Amino acid sequence: MTAPASAPSAPSFWLRARKQKRFAFGMGLTLLVVAFALFAPFFAPYGENETAGPPYSPDGFFGTDYIGQDVLSRLMYGGVGVLVVAVLATVLGMVLGVLIGVVAAYAGGWWDEIIMRLNDVLLAFPQILLALVVLTAVQNPAPWVIVLLIGVSHAPRVARLARGVALGIVSRDFVAAAEALGEKRSRVIMAEVLPNMVGPLLAEAGLRLTYSIAVVAGLGFLGFAADPGAANWGQMIYENGLGLATQPWAVLAPVLMIAVFTIATNLMADGLAQLSQKEDSR
Amino acid sequence: MNQNPRRDLQLSRRQLLKYSGVGVAAVAGSSFLAACGGNGGSGGGGGDEPQSSGGILIHGATGGGSKDTLDPHQPVTNPDIARVCNLYEPLLIWNNDYELEPALAESIEASSDARTWTIKMRPGVTFHNGKDVTAEDALFSIQRFANPKAPLSAGGQLSQIIDFQSTKAVDPTTLKLVLNTPYAILDTLLAEYTAGIIPTDFDVKNPVGTGAFVYESFEPGKTSTFTRYSGYWGDPAFVDELQIQDFADDNAKVNALQAGQIQTVDNLPYNLIDTIEGAGGGVLVSDTGAWVPFTMRVDVEPFSDVRVRQAMRLIVDRQAMIDQTLSGYGSLGNDLYAPFDPAYASDLPQREQDIDQAKALLQQAGQEGMQVELFTGDDIGSVAPAAANLFVEQAKLAGVDVKVTKKTPFYDDDYLSYPFAQDFWNTRNYIAQAVVGTFPPEQGGTYNETHWDNEEHRSLVNAAARELDETKRAELLHDAQEIEYEEGGLIIWGFRQQVDGYAAGVQGLEPHKYLPLGAYRFDKVSV
Repeated sequence: MTAPASAPSAPSFWLRARKQKRFAFGMGLTLLVVAFALFAPFFAPYGENETAGPPYSPDGFFGTDYIGQDVLSRLMYGGVGVLVVAVLATVLGMVLGVLIGVVAAYAGGWWDEIIMRLNDVLLAFPQILLALVVLTAVQNPAPWVIVLLIGVSHAPRVARLARGVALGIVSRDFVAAAEALGEKRSRVIMAEVLPNMVGPLLAEAGLRLTYSIAVVAGLGFLGFAADPGAANWGQMIYENGLGLATQPWAVLAPVLMIAVFTIATNLMADGLAQLSQKEDSR
Repeated sequence: MNQNPRRDLQLSRRQLLKYSGVGVAAVAGSSFLAACGGNGGSGGGGGDEPQSSGGILIHGATGGGSKDTLDPHQPVTNPDIARVCNLYEPLLIWNNDYELEPALAESIEASSDARTWTIKMRPGVTFHNGKDVTAEDALFSIQRFANPKAPLSAGGQLSQIIDFQSTKAVDPTTLKLVLNTPYAILDTLLAEYTAGIIPTDFDVKNPVGTGAFVYESFEPGKTSTFTRYSGYWGDPAFVDELQIQDFADDNAKVNALQAGQIQTVDNLPYNLIDTIEGAGGGVLVSDTGAWVPFTMRVDVEPFSDVRVRQAMRLIVDRQAMIDQTLSGYGSLGNDLYAPFDPAYASDLPQREQDIDQAKALLQQAGQEGMQVELFTGDDIGSVAPAAANLFVEQAKLAGVDVKVTKKTPFYDDDYLSYPFAQDFWNTRNYIAQAVVGTFPPEQGGTYNETHWDNEEHRSLVNAAARELDETKRAELLHDAQEIEYEEGGLIIWGFRQQVDGYAAGVQGLEPHKYLPLGAYRFDKVSV
């Protein structure tokens, strides 16, 4: 009897992914933006809330904003908040979603039906709407509230995909073999099912990260950022919208950063998706 | 039980704020002339060419909605105020310099004890339906807005002091107003734009007033149309038709002005002045007595210690506030309001940022490195959140850690209970402002954000309100202001200038200290 036909393991998938041009480019760009967000504050010419001149003046590289703060400095400070919230929300959404999806697929039968129909109900809510409804009710939301809202709203979408992928795995021989050996269900999921879902899940994570950034920035743009004084790319667009004609960089600079970052994460996700599709068809 | 009075309070707060208008101000000479210069000589303030008649003037305003109204006595939003100012007129009006001038009243005189006021109506004034304006109409209007059971915007104080049993129209041109207490500045209360005179058979669905424009059509939240009143008692309007259009936000309003779809806008955002001037439009700048204070509650920690309040007043960099949040369009404040009141205490030393002294005061009060939460909100106006963010940085210099909390909405049930917050007030004279903003609620202080309760201050203000001799009144008010200057809970860092925009070719707009766009007097404007 041959050993269970295990699907590609995580490290080898990673190695092949790096050779994929689309993924490599997206990954490189993402790392650049992340590095900018993390390290730029140390090089910013002004403080996050320091005024550098009159409002909407051309002083400085990108000029000043609605109350005269230096746009370049705010751009340098404004990435960390968006990034941290977006990444944490994505992780939360992935963990919750995968858990729900895999359990539904593995349990099957009525459990599957009940879990997935409830999931469908949640899917009916547009993501940003859910966040807005709660944020309007909560005064002065802490950053973790935003993480929770975005993460939870990701979960049903991830769950749907995770279930689909897991369904194809739970019926395969190596899973049946593991069950036959009397392994615990949790161990079967962790050791046999999940490692074989890495490709599609990574692609989904990249996609979710893109959405997270869009929602975090969108909430800032709508005036729901956690700290009204802090630099935050989305909030910068909101604060300076009126000055678009006078001092366009106050709006365009954060717009460009968000655009580059979402394109980069999307390319990364797309590359991963192509790769996992190729492997499926092999 | 507690909920209802608060709701009422919230509603009347909005009305009251609007009643004093989006207070405007005096000619900012140089800026104003510069604005006209940028307009190719046909400036709104005073071009060289004579004004021509005819055409349609379209005014754009933000803030309106489905609750828009044509009621003369309870306008709430800016488009409401613009409509009211063109349809109706009060007995007296505030002129461009915030001084009283007769309007529908020819004269108004107080008895020697300031308890009986005789109002002579201007002869020859007619309502839009052709009916003569009589003392009966004036009495009817006053009874409507100063109804003791349900006073409207202008009637808050009047409803408490008018003795309606003894007040009567003596003949068609004479109204005798009798008060139950001496009140020396009754005339100022009758000059509010929310005190318009309407006929005894007034119907808000087909509104009739005495203004230079006649009602034509009205769609709440969208647009309203008015035509020139040929029988107007003053100079007739230049334009044939006036339209007032609601806009959802400032962006849309400014874009419409730049595209030539509308001719005037009120409340231009400060940081867009250059944009409008660059695009060939004109900017009308007026000094005002309008202010956006920080409010410290004097009855809760840490602000119950007067040294903490004094320290906070020394922390704020007043000029930086004006430069950054008003783009420089403002004048320095000295923690006192009512700058246009003849009794304004301009001799008190101008307070300036003094971080060392602030630190020393905080140390004495045992509040070194104190942490405070500052409540702000978009509904206070765009200046407020910007000022809050700036204050955080200024406070850091004195080791004070300020955390800004943005409330949406700010004016909810928590309003008036925030320990440290912001607010906005419009142009008003001292007594009216002191009553509404620093007296206990049961004595008229409906918006006493700082919970200030000072017996000595109150008796000085009350004595001044009864004093007919202006010199003596000014002395009393000076003493009252000194108390607030030393111990008060308000940080008044500046008075903002009113900035309005107009398209090239618009003429006749004059800066006004009380309301935007020359108090919305579109009858003086030609296109």
